[in-house]
Amino acid sequence: MMRSVNLIAVRINRQFLRDRRFLGLSLAVPLLLMLLFKYVFDSLPGLIRLGVNIGDYSILLAAYLVHFLAYILSTIVLVRDRLEGTLARMFVYGYRRRDIVLGYVAGYSTIAAAQTVLVLVLTKYLFDIDLTSELGAIVLTVLALAVVSVGLGVFISNFARNEGQVFPFVPMVVVPSALLSGIAIPIDDLPVFLQWCSYLVPLRYAVDVLRGVVMEGHTFREELLPFLILAGVGVALLVSASFTLRERE
Amino acid sequence: MSDTPGLTVEVKELVKCYGSIRALDSADMEVAPGQIFGLVGPNGSGKTTLIKALCGILKPDSGSVRVLGLNATSDRYRIRLRLGYMPQTPSLYDDLSPAENLRFFGGRFHLEDLAGRMRTVLEFVRLWDRRDDPLYTFSGGMRQRISLACALLHDPELLILDEPTAGVDPALRQDFWNHFDDLRRRGRTIFLSTNQMDEAMRCDQVAVIQEGRMLITETPEAIRDRGSARITLELESGNRVEEVADYERELPRLLAEYGLAPQVKSISVRRQSLEEVILELIGEASASPGGDKPARSAGEKT
Repeated sequence: MMRSVNLIAVRINRQFLRDRRFLGLSLAVPLLLMLLFKYVFDSLPGLIRLGVNIGDYSILLAAYLVHFLAYILSTIVLVRDRLEGTLARMFVYGYRRRDIVLGYVAGYSTIAAAQTVLVLVLTKYLFDIDLTSELGAIVLTVLALAVVSVGLGVFISNFARNEGQVFPFVPMVVVPSALLSGIAIPIDDLPVFLQWCSYLVPLRYAVDVLRGVVMEGHTFREELLPFLILAGVGVALLVSASFTLRERE
Repeated sequence: MSDTPGLTVEVKELVKCYGSIRALDSADMEVAPGQIFGLVGPNGSGKTTLIKALCGILKPDSGSVRVLGLNATSDRYRIRLRLGYMPQTPSLYDDLSPAENLRFFGGRFHLEDLAGRMRTVLEFVRLWDRRDDPLYTFSGGMRQRISLACALLHDPELLILDEPTAGVDPALRQDFWNHFDDLRRRGRTIFLSTNQMDEAMRCDQVAVIQEGRMLITETPEAIRDRGSARITLELESGNRVEEVADYERELPRLLAEYGLAPQVKSISVRRQSLEEVILELIGEASASPGGDKPARSAGEKT
């Protein structure tokens, strides 16, 4: 099985390296959005008067961007694989569903890791935040979130017949993630039933870890529970994706 | 389920519907080992759907499919290691080179001499020199050739080829067929769909499919013999034209009417081609939708 996973991951990364424009955009877009975030919020003096350090939120935003991009990217690429017949060919040439799901996760984790590192480096210099103490925890959390995103993408790709049909599914994940994860609005301020709904949003657990580590000075050990839940959601999504990935018409 | 021993492919009462469309309508088919089996039919007749069923990437609504003696649904992973598949569209990664595509798709077969085999198949499709160029620089026909190379890489027992020569130039098409003949001599079974009647004539058996139903399964010669012949006698008094089923028997009878026939200046016989016979069969089936299925046995004439 590992051989198949490796073959798929290597193939995906080779394709990324071949498509320079796509690779450049995938890496540049999160950076540009971080810049936009900084300059928009730096121009709001009210936030400074309220004592809000926008730099703290930049890490949460970075996680959100990686989540969003990995989800969209993996959904579209899998739908394209299905449309162009390469997915069917993979099946006939002996690849199994679990190989494909894990291979895609491994392949996309590479680009997600590159995105994470670049965004964190930019965040450090843009917002002058010292990330060195919990850098490992931050990277690990964002990577776990990327795995969740790819699992979600594989799952959603089953419901889209073409690339255009992916787009209605984008807000379905992106908007609840923004509103119910605690990234913008504290979860305690939400109505009770939405607080319950927030447990269904994987980004919530990543935000819990990152908020604790970056904004509240906790150690990673103290935030282990939300991290383990995030990892558990990732595993559950991968298992369900490997059962639901449509092999036969 | 009982299956006939020794058959490479056995399809029984196969049904597949997409909504209200019956893509396969109780299709039956048997392919013996070591044959080149041709599937012929118009666009949308169910050829690709049937091929997908053989490869285990189609979930039939009912009926059964056995490939290489195994159940195409429950044993599909075992079957796939023994078959080579070439889809109708190239279905390759355009941003990768032929070598990278072959390495990826051939990687699952644990081949001992992958590099050597890659060279063999790429030389066969005459693209060894371009093995490292990205596929997006290739024409449609060249991609078809790479697609075939992928299917041949692991020297499978059964080759399933969906219109393998579409977009391929005539000289290479000839090479493809020579290679198929060679594979048949080595005991491999080839199942292919085609719209080229000269290719159908090179098959051992031909099945004609229309609206998901098998109209006939016979040797190409037997199918052609179901057609008629037009005999034209050029007489002093004008031409006499006769449509006959069996011109070899009818011609002497016609000539007998003229004795030694000093007035017959020439005789021409135009026998229906395989394509014309198949088009007639399809036309008859279309004219009577839901009617009796055409006979499948070799001896009957339309």
